[in-house]
Amino acid sequence: MKSSDQKPNQGDSRRDFLKKSSVITAIALTPSVAVKAAESNADERFAQLFEKIPLELTVNNKVYQTTVEPRVTLLDYLREELHLTGTKKGCDHGQCGACTVHVDGQRVNSCLSLAVMNEGKKITTIEGLANGETLHPMQAAFIKHDGFQCGYCTPGQIMSAVACVREGHTGSRAEISEYMSGNICRCGAYPNIVDAIIEVKEGGEKV
Amino acid sequence: MINFQYLRTTTAKSAIALLVKDKNAKFLAGGTNLIDLMKRGVTAPEKLIDINHVPLKQIEQIGNKIHIGALASNSAVADSALIKEKLPLLSWALQAGASAQLRNVATVGGNMMQRTRCSYFYDTEMPCNKRQPGTGCGAMEGFNRMHAIFGASEKCIAVHPSDMCVALTALDAEVVVANAKGERKIPFKDFHRLAGDTPQLDNNLKADEMIIRLEIPMNNLAKNYHYLKVRDRASYAFALVSVAAAFELSNNKITDIRLAMGGVAHKPWRLTASENFLKGKEATLSNFEEAAQLAMKDAKGFGGNDFKLKLAPNTIIEGLNLAKSKV
Amino acid sequence: MEKRVLKDDNDRVDGILKVTGQAKYFAEYELPGLTYGVLVTSTITKGKITALDTKAAEKAPGVIAVISHLNKPSAAAYEQEGGPQMKIFYTDKIFYNGQPIAIVVANTFERATHAASLVKATYAKEDFNTDFEKALKDPKAKKLQGQADYKRGIENAYKTAVVKLEERYFLPIETHNPMELHGIIADWRPNNQLTVYAKTQGVKATQGTIANVFKIPMENIQVNSEFVGGGFGMALRTWPLEIATVMASKHIGKPVKVVITRMQMFTMVGNRPAAIQTIGLGANKDGKLTGITHRAYGETSTYENFTEGVVNMAKFMYQCDNVNTAYAIVPVDLGVPIWMRGPGEATGAFALESAIDEMAHALDMDPLDFRIKNDPETDQQKNKPFSSKNIKEAYKIGAEKIGWSNRKNKPGSLIEGPWQTGYGVSVGVFNANRGKASVKGILKADGSLHLQSATSDIGPGTGTGMTLIANKLMKIPVNKITFELGDSSLPPAPSQGGSATLSTVGSAVNDVCVALKSAIAELAANSNMDATANFVDVLKKNNLPQIEVTKESQGGKERDNYSMYSFSIHFVQVKVHALTGVVKVSKIVSVGDSGTIVSPKTARSQMLGGAVGGIGMALTEESIIDHRYGRYINNNFADYHVPVNADVPEIDVNFINKPDPYINPMGAKGMGEIALIGFSAAVANAVFNATGKRIRTLPITPDKILA
Repeated sequence: MKSSDQKPNQGDSRRDFLKKSSVITAIALTPSVAVKAAESNADERFAQLFEKIPLELTVNNKVYQTTVEPRVTLLDYLREELHLTGTKKGCDHGQCGACTVHVDGQRVNSCLSLAVMNEGKKITTIEGLANGETLHPMQAAFIKHDGFQCGYCTPGQIMSAVACVREGHTGSRAEISEYMSGNICRCGAYPNIVDAIIEVKEGGEKV
Repeated sequence: MINFQYLRTTTAKSAIALLVKDKNAKFLAGGTNLIDLMKRGVTAPEKLIDINHVPLKQIEQIGNKIHIGALASNSAVADSALIKEKLPLLSWALQAGASAQLRNVATVGGNMMQRTRCSYFYDTEMPCNKRQPGTGCGAMEGFNRMHAIFGASEKCIAVHPSDMCVALTALDAEVVVANAKGERKIPFKDFHRLAGDTPQLDNNLKADEMIIRLEIPMNNLAKNYHYLKVRDRASYAFALVSVAAAFELSNNKITDIRLAMGGVAHKPWRLTASENFLKGKEATLSNFEEAAQLAMKDAKGFGGNDFKLKLAPNTIIEGLNLAKSKV
Repeated sequence: MEKRVLKDDNDRVDGILKVTGQAKYFAEYELPGLTYGVLVTSTITKGKITALDTKAAEKAPGVIAVISHLNKPSAAAYEQEGGPQMKIFYTDKIFYNGQPIAIVVANTFERATHAASLVKATYAKEDFNTDFEKALKDPKAKKLQGQADYKRGIENAYKTAVVKLEERYFLPIETHNPMELHGIIADWRPNNQLTVYAKTQGVKATQGTIANVFKIPMENIQVNSEFVGGGFGMALRTWPLEIATVMASKHIGKPVKVVITRMQMFTMVGNRPAAIQTIGLGANKDGKLTGITHRAYGETSTYENFTEGVVNMAKFMYQCDNVNTAYAIVPVDLGVPIWMRGPGEATGAFALESAIDEMAHALDMDPLDFRIKNDPETDQQKNKPFSSKNIKEAYKIGAEKIGWSNRKNKPGSLIEGPWQTGYGVSVGVFNANRGKASVKGILKADGSLHLQSATSDIGPGTGTGMTLIANKLMKIPVNKITFELGDSSLPPAPSQGGSATLSTVGSAVNDVCVALKSAIAELAANSNMDATANFVDVLKKNNLPQIEVTKESQGGKERDNYSMYSFSIHFVQVKVHALTGVVKVSKIVSVGDSGTIVSPKTARSQMLGGAVGGIGMALTEESIIDHRYGRYINNNFADYHVPVNADVPEIDVNFINKPDPYINPMGAKGMGEIALIGFSAAVANAVFNATGKRIRTLPITPDKILA
């Protein structure tokens, strides 16, 4: 565990602010007319004030400041709000890995993470992996080894594969396969995916 | 999913204070089980208290115990050099669970608190005494291939799905929990419950309590150990049966031994009778076989899971074999 | 566009888009005013809706409309009598559990999802049966003929054979489960103009179905489906949920997006039907087959019949003068099935290829020798020669590569600690089809070629294959060739299914290229240029920015003279753990005999995919229903076990790669199905060889090994 991971990553003022944006606090601070409007669903705009909370999220080195309902997952937030649709929804229950992104450098299933839980964290999606016009070595290796067919699980596979190399879980084909088993590929490109990962690992480029 | 309230806190004290204020509040740590259950409509808390920023991620040796914070991630524990050296059984068990992505987020406390994966529990249109007491047990006469063979009650035959907890049971861990008044310790084997008449309760954590950390005593079980998980596919599947086996050999005699099983009961299942039998004996196949038979004394199948009556003892034997052959 | 270029001509033409997250699947199109639809489904299995309370849902934040049979928006065809029984929102009848009964449309996905949970239905329940085996045993249950009975020689000749066997094989329901969730975006605009972004294996088929239901002209409907995240057959039709979404868009006058859940993937978009099969085989002592009988029952729904080619293979795959087959379908109260990769032939091959292995064992023969001994020279069913067939060569290559000589004919002979090793083989076969398709080719003075056809790519690499065909004929570099598909306004092509796309659309690409070449030659001749002149120079000399040709292409009489099939041989080595019953596929060698290999890289990947699908069929996949409730028990990716990376060993893929002289100009036969067909039997045969246990009910899970 890196020590930096253990520190709370926001100052007190941010935390206080977030607490205040809970519904109870918000209602207490809101004119009664607005509360009434919200309760009767008379005005959608008022209702939204209560249900959404502010969120600042860094995705692919870009800072996004929006408001969001707490129930919105990171996956749906990326796809529907930021239109970063490279991250895929395959099961929505943490059972397939198609939604894999990096949060502070670690691979996670974005479908089981609420967007609001990621405040202040650095998110990297498939769209942020290449360096400008130059493909990331893993992307290039996936093309070379045909590590996909329909392409739908591919962004998740690649994000997971990059993390797999960074974590050092590439000691053997068997180890790679085990550590890539959280990413289902229904087209069955697994052996090619393992080949791609071995190539990147042996290439020794920084990933 | 209802649009719950989301709160965030950075201290255990304030987390507990927020929890007791509201009957419908729940802690949110990794969320890998809770959010899943909320999406399926199995649970609908009105308030989530995000505790991820509470500093409980330590993995450290204090005296003759290893302390693991409740919010340490499964992967942090599994990959920790300290755990790999001193408690490799725990590391192995963790790696056998879920996927790399889930382990990066799922916490130790969350792993302990995860609910059963019983299909009837998950489908809100089916009867389930655990989800909705009084509706009956769908699995009892239904699909029960994955279900309990030990300690099942008439109300619920679900199993606890964790791998980590099987190892922790074997390792005599203690759970430190806290409420507003202070801390208490629960032996790990007493943390989870049998279903009995209250299948809705998975464990003995009280409504006003929070898991703070685990304390695991040092042992000499880092040489001969194995976590064997039998499942329907090679990875990323829940156990049909799993066995945590570890022992200490001295002059070819077993001086200390731990055996626990997963996938067989409403809680991680410690095999005390088998342990007692093997203590002081030689690590031979025939002794392993006898120990395995002892473990099965009160086992009972429900049709679909009858195969576990054969698989479970076989897995115990093979787990012990593999622990023995480790060099 | 990306400036990055592919390094190898055989790389997938859409590889860069796919690895960078830029490939757009149906749900990823941004439309102004887009709304979100979520389907409410029945919680009973059979009966009628007596009341539907939508008030709470309608009041929920963000909800725009709740649509059901109570306020059915106009779908002209559904207002008429007759037609399909399952007219979504035009019936209060419930045919199966999980049937869509309403759609809730809201301004966000989360709000629509929550509001959908607030819709409450009340039902009048009726007795039902979802248990296929129970229906088979019930003398009162319907059994419908699925295919005409077939007989050659003496019926049930196996019964009087010197060596005979009769065995029963069971295949459970399997679910396609492509990684992409199904759904559609429908944008119904004034004057009955409709644009849909679909997940379909056939844009023209989707266009046609919607036109039929809503009785609007085909030209009013634009179907876009450039990238499809896998189909495996489930996207070969337009499902009620898609019609519901179009209805919703028409009703509210805004674009509506529906993406169904993984749970709904088990109930709304078909599955591979369960099948019970009996095989009877007879042979003489020399190992010659003297009788083959194949009887099969397939599961279907009560509201629509579904049939497939379960008993096809028995009719021609082995030399035998006495063959008879029968195939019936049995309705149960479940959603209607649909072809799943390899379709019925894969179901049938599991039984037949297991039985062939059992007969070899009964004869104490090597199953490979037994197959070779009964390999037919001609197709006895059609009484025609095969257009091409290189099975014996394929056996030889595969046997050598898997190390068949290490196999012991006596089961359970290879033991190492708790692990038992076994080897198995099977054959796969599927019709080598060629349909009718049109392709437009635009040859430009900048040196590029643009090809267009309303075909699809659900993953095999359609664009890559077509590009390579054109590249070979036109000598234009692949990075100067583009192939456009997945758009209903392009020249028509059939749906992607039955392993026919490369043969069908590829032939049209071939014909377009030939026509373009002759057009250039003509232009060259007219402008006094050398016949070998480069087309760029010819176009420039003629001041032409481009020329274009559209060709419709289809096969001719060759099919009257030849029997055309693609073949595959699967060799597997398995390791079975005697104590835990775990089966590991440890080695795979697949050999494809499918004519010329046009696109080597994507063809190899197809074979890998078939093997992985085959591992699933053999070892892990089964859609389980609690028949007391008629509901699926394992309708998710945690409990329905698709193989994961750790289940799959290295796979050695080989091709005979000899052109079929008759099928099409490329000499290429399809291979999407043969990659899977037979594979599950190879695994079952290997498990038998390892353990002596013959498992005739898939999947082969640890409990069955221990039983």
